[in-house]
Amino acid sequence: MEELSGAIALIGYGLATLGPGIGIGIIAGNSVQAMARQPEAAGMVRTAMFMGIAFTEALALIAFVLFFLT
Amino acid sequence: MEELILAAAPCDLSESAVCAPANVNELFEFRETVYFVFGLPITRTVFLIFLVAAFAIALFYFGLRKRSTQPGKFQLAIESLMTFVRDDIAIGIIGPTGIKYYPYLLSLLIFILIGNVFKITPFINLPVTARMAIPLFLALLTWVIFVFAGFKRNGFSYFLGIVWPPGVPAALKPLVGVIEFFSTFFVRPFSLAVRLFANLVAGHVMLTLLLTTAFVSFATIGEIGLVKGAFGFAWWALGLSIFMFEIIVIILQAYIFTLLSAVYINTSVNAEH
Repeated sequence: MEELSGAIALIGYGLATLGPGIGIGIIAGNSVQAMARQPEAAGMVRTAMFMGIAFTEALALIAFVLFFLT
Repeated sequence: MEELILAAAPCDLSESAVCAPANVNELFEFRETVYFVFGLPITRTVFLIFLVAAFAIALFYFGLRKRSTQPGKFQLAIESLMTFVRDDIAIGIIGPTGIKYYPYLLSLLIFILIGNVFKITPFINLPVTARMAIPLFLALLTWVIFVFAGFKRNGFSYFLGIVWPPGVPAALKPLVGVIEFFSTFFVRPFSLAVRLFANLVAGHVMLTLLLTTAFVSFATIGEIGLVKGAFGFAWWALGLSIFMFEIIVIILQAYIFTLLSAVYINTSVNAEH
């Protein structure tokens, strides 16, 4: 039997990217749909999209920082 | 004696494909030379902060020196940036009272933008916003502003509106209140700072590892052979394409930090009661 070696924090970071990844995909996809349906509201939708992405992304970034801290 | 900022561990490319340091924490050690100027300790980061400030002042001084009614290209660029912050961020998010916070938001955007641009500036290659102290300070500044704005506008009912939220069933109020209290006063500044910091550090580490690996494999191409040297070329190409990607990150993160500051100020200025 060979032993596995490496940082377990890497696995944790990988897991932590799943949720935000899906979330950002949903946000961006729905924003594109909204912009395509109503191009005149594109500016408003874009601002809301960036805000949503920023909030969702924070979880992955906190995991990224914790990966370095551990 | 001047020490190297990034003291990469000696790495053997005949064994591993990527030139990663044994311990990533090495990248975050402050091995900076301290110069004493008039008794003040000045490191590279401190020097870069002053450089950012000098650039920001120069930008506005030279951009708005003439203020002609037929603006040149430079003046037009500065003015459209200012109009964007005023109309889309300050007034667009906060409402008519947002004009009061417009100078703060504009200086925030410019400081973070120039600080971020240092990440891809040749010969500097160090974003000042990738030192945790700076995003944390900026986030705490936003925190102080939105808490003060809330108390000044609504008095003690601002605090009451957070810990005893209206429109929530009475049985849930203590639970929601505790969650809201923590998310407003602790999670907000923390996530604001960590978002900027982690985005820039991630790009910085990626660029450092890729381009250092490429450089080492180019320099030792005689020893490791052409096949592994070709891998070095791939790392180099990837590093350069990430350079392009980082330009987007730089602009977007400066924008998002400013936008979220405006959103937080908005929640305390226009609190629902």
